[in-house]
Amino acid sequence: MIKLKEHGYHQDDIRSQRFLNPQKLLLPLSQHAGKPSTCQVKVGQEIDEGQLIATEDGFISARLHSPNKGKVVSLVKVNHPNLKRALAITIQCTPENKQYHHSGDPDRLEKEGLLEIIKDKGVVGMGGAAFPSYVKLKPPVEIDTLIINGCECEPYLTTDYCLMLENLKEIFMGIEIISRIIKPKRIIFAIEENKKRVLKQLNLFTSMRKFNLPKIKSAVLKARYPQGGEKQLIHTLTGRKVPPGRLPFDVGCLVHNVATCFAIYQAVYLDKPFIERLVSFCGSGIREPKNVWVKIGTTLSELIEKKIIELNQEPEKIICGGPMMGVALSGPDYPILKGTGGFIFLGKALGQVQESPCLRCGRCVDACPMSLLPLEYVRSVKKEAYAQLENLSLKDCIECGCCAYVCPAKIPLTHYIKTGKYYVAKSK
Amino acid sequence: MLLKVSSSPHLSQPLDTRGIMMRVTMALLPATAASIYFFGLPALKVIAFCVSTSILTEAVIMLLRKKKTTIDDCSALVTGLLLALVLPPQTTGYAAIVGSIFAIAIGKHIFGGLGSNIFNPALIARAFLMAAYPKMLTTFSSPCSIDAASCATPLALRKFSHSFVPLWDLFIGRVSGSIGETSAICLIIGGTYLLVKKIADWRLPISMLAVVSFIALTAAKINPTNGSLLFHLFSGGLLLGAFFMATDPVTTPVTKKGRYIFGAGCGILIMIIRYFSGLPEGVMYSILFMNALTPLINRYTRPRPFGSKAVRKGVK
Repeated sequence: MIKLKEHGYHQDDIRSQRFLNPQKLLLPLSQHAGKPSTCQVKVGQEIDEGQLIATEDGFISARLHSPNKGKVVSLVKVNHPNLKRALAITIQCTPENKQYHHSGDPDRLEKEGLLEIIKDKGVVGMGGAAFPSYVKLKPPVEIDTLIINGCECEPYLTTDYCLMLENLKEIFMGIEIISRIIKPKRIIFAIEENKKRVLKQLNLFTSMRKFNLPKIKSAVLKARYPQGGEKQLIHTLTGRKVPPGRLPFDVGCLVHNVATCFAIYQAVYLDKPFIERLVSFCGSGIREPKNVWVKIGTTLSELIEKKIIELNQEPEKIICGGPMMGVALSGPDYPILKGTGGFIFLGKALGQVQESPCLRCGRCVDACPMSLLPLEYVRSVKKEAYAQLENLSLKDCIECGCCAYVCPAKIPLTHYIKTGKYYVAKSK
Repeated sequence: MLLKVSSSPHLSQPLDTRGIMMRVTMALLPATAASIYFFGLPALKVIAFCVSTSILTEAVIMLLRKKKTTIDDCSALVTGLLLALVLPPQTTGYAAIVGSIFAIAIGKHIFGGLGSNIFNPALIARAFLMAAYPKMLTTFSSPCSIDAASCATPLALRKFSHSFVPLWDLFIGRVSGSIGETSAICLIIGGTYLLVKKIADWRLPISMLAVVSFIALTAAKINPTNGSLLFHLFSGGLLLGAFFMATDPVTTPVTKKGRYIFGAGCGILIMIIRYFSGLPEGVMYSILFMNALTPLINRYTRPRPFGSKAVRKGVK
C-alpha cells in the first residue's frame, strides 16, 4: 500500500447540501454488480416516487425504484460511466417530494424479514462495486468479524466522511440491523486517522451501551491507499488474508461500507427505497467542493446547468469516481448511479504523458497491494504474450492504480493491465 | 466541453526518471568534490572527459537509432560520472573517452537502451578498460601530491605488504584509489541522502554492507591481519559500490527478497575476492557477477499473490 501525496487535502468542515428536484432522471438498468434488472414500466406510464420500476433478474441483481414522481418518457441507451452505453429508463419528473417518517419496527422482524426489506428496497454496496447487499448478507458460512468500512482511501472524495459526521447515529442503527442478520462475534469500525472530527463521536458511540451490538471497537488506520479495499482492510485489521478468487466470508469476515449501513437504516426504519445518495463534487475545476444529496439518475449536466456545481473554468477532465480508479468521462451527460461516489473536475489534467523506458526499479512491485509484478504485465502485453499473463496471476490485479501512480517512467501500467485482461478474456 | 479521456489513475507522483538521475548526481557531488580536492586537476580532467563523452555518445546513438534524444533524462550523465569515479586519477583522456563510449554504446544501447541493459554500464566499461589498459587501471597516484607519484591502495597494502593506513585517512579519503571511492564520509553522506529520499532501496546497500561487516568481523577475530571491520567498510570501492552501483535500478532485482539476495551475494563475493584472490579488491566483479544473476534472482523470488500462501496452508 502507498501513501498518496493527495491524502493531505482532506477537508475538515464539509457539510452536505440537497438537490432533490431534478427535471429529468436517467436510470440505467445496470447500476450494480451482476445481471441488469428487468424493466417493469412502459413508456408513457405515470409513476410515483419509490415505485418499483425494475426487478432483479437472477440471484445477483438488484431492484430499482423511481426516485421521483413523474412519467416514463423513453427506454433508450444512455451514457454509462462503466459500460459506455446502457439501456436506461428516462423519467420526466413532477416537482413533488415524498416525506419519509419512522414507520418500520425492525425489532419485531426476524432475519428473513429484514433481508426481504433490504432486497426489496434495492440496497447495494456503496463502497464502489455496488454489489447487491442482500446477497452479501446471506453468507454460506458463519461470520465472526463484521467490519464497518469508514476508510475513504481515494483522495478528494468525502461522502463517507460527511455522512459519518452528520448521520453517525443512523449508521449505527444500520449496523445494528446487519449485526442482527449475521450475528458476528465482534464488530470493527475502521476509519482513517485523517478523519479526526468523526473520531471523537465514533468513540462515544462505540462506548455507549445504547445500541444492541456485540463487542464493537473502532480502529484508527493510517491514511493509505488502497486501505478501503476489502482484502486490504481485512488483512490490516485481522491479519487474515483472503486467498485469490475467494471472498471475505472464506476467512470469516464481512465488510460493509458506512454508506451501505445508512442505506439499510433508511430501508428498514423509514421504509425508503434506495433512491438518493450523497455525491462529492470536487477538484480544481469547480469553485467550491461540495457534497450533495441527489436523486439516483440525476444527470451531471443538469447539476451544472442549475448551478448546483459552479465551474470556475472549463474543466480539462471530469472523473466519475476517485482519482485513482475513477473513469474519465467524455462529457457531462452522465447519470448518477447507485455506486457513484463523486465527480472530480480537473481544471488542469495530466495529459498524455510520454512514457519513457521502464527502469526496472521495482517501485511498482513494492507498491502493489496484491503482491504482483506489474512491470512484467507491461512487458507481456507489449509482446502480446497473453498466455504468460495468466501465469503471472493477472486476474488478481484489483486495478487500484498504485503501480502507475508511483512509476517514475510514467508508464500507464493500469492501462496495459486492463488491455491485457481484455485480451485474456477475449482469447477464452 | 472538450474533455481529456484516459485510463485511471488520474494522479501521478511527481518523481520521474530525470528526477531520479538528478538526485543520484546530487548524491555523488560530495564524493566528486572530495576527489577533486584530493587528486586535483587530473581527477577533474577524467570526470570532464567521461561525462561529456557519455552525453555525446548518448546523443549520437539516439540520432542513429532515429529516436528522440534521451540526454535530458540525465542517465548518460550519471553513467559518465560513475565511470569517472571508478577510474584512477591518472587515467588518460584517451582511455576515459574510449571507456565512456564503451559504457554507453556497448554497456547500454546494444541491449536496447536505458532499462534493458544487463550489466551496470559504468562497471562494464571499467572492466573493459581493465582488460585494455591493465597497467593504467591498477596504478594509483597518491592524494594531495603535485607529482604523480604512484602509490598502493590501502587494500593492496593490506594484501601485499600487510600494512594498514590510518583509519582517519580512510574515512576522509586521504588515501590512494579510484577518483571517487576514497572518501568514506562523502559517500556515506550521498548514500544516506539516496536512502532517505527513497531514490534507492535500502535493502541493497544495507544487506551488502551487513554481510561484509559480518564476514570482516569474523575474519578479524580469527586473524587481526585480515583487517578490521571499519577498514573493510571504508576501503576500496565498497561504499561507492554499495550505495551507487548496487542500487542501479536497471541491473538489480525488482523484488524485495531478491534485493536482499543480491546485496548479500555481492558482500560474500567481495570478501572472497579480498581475502583469497590475487586481486586486492573485488567490488566491480562482484556486482557484475550478481548483475548477471539478476534475471534468475527475479525469477525465483517472485512474490506470491496476496493471500495465496493461505491457500497452501489450507484455509478453507
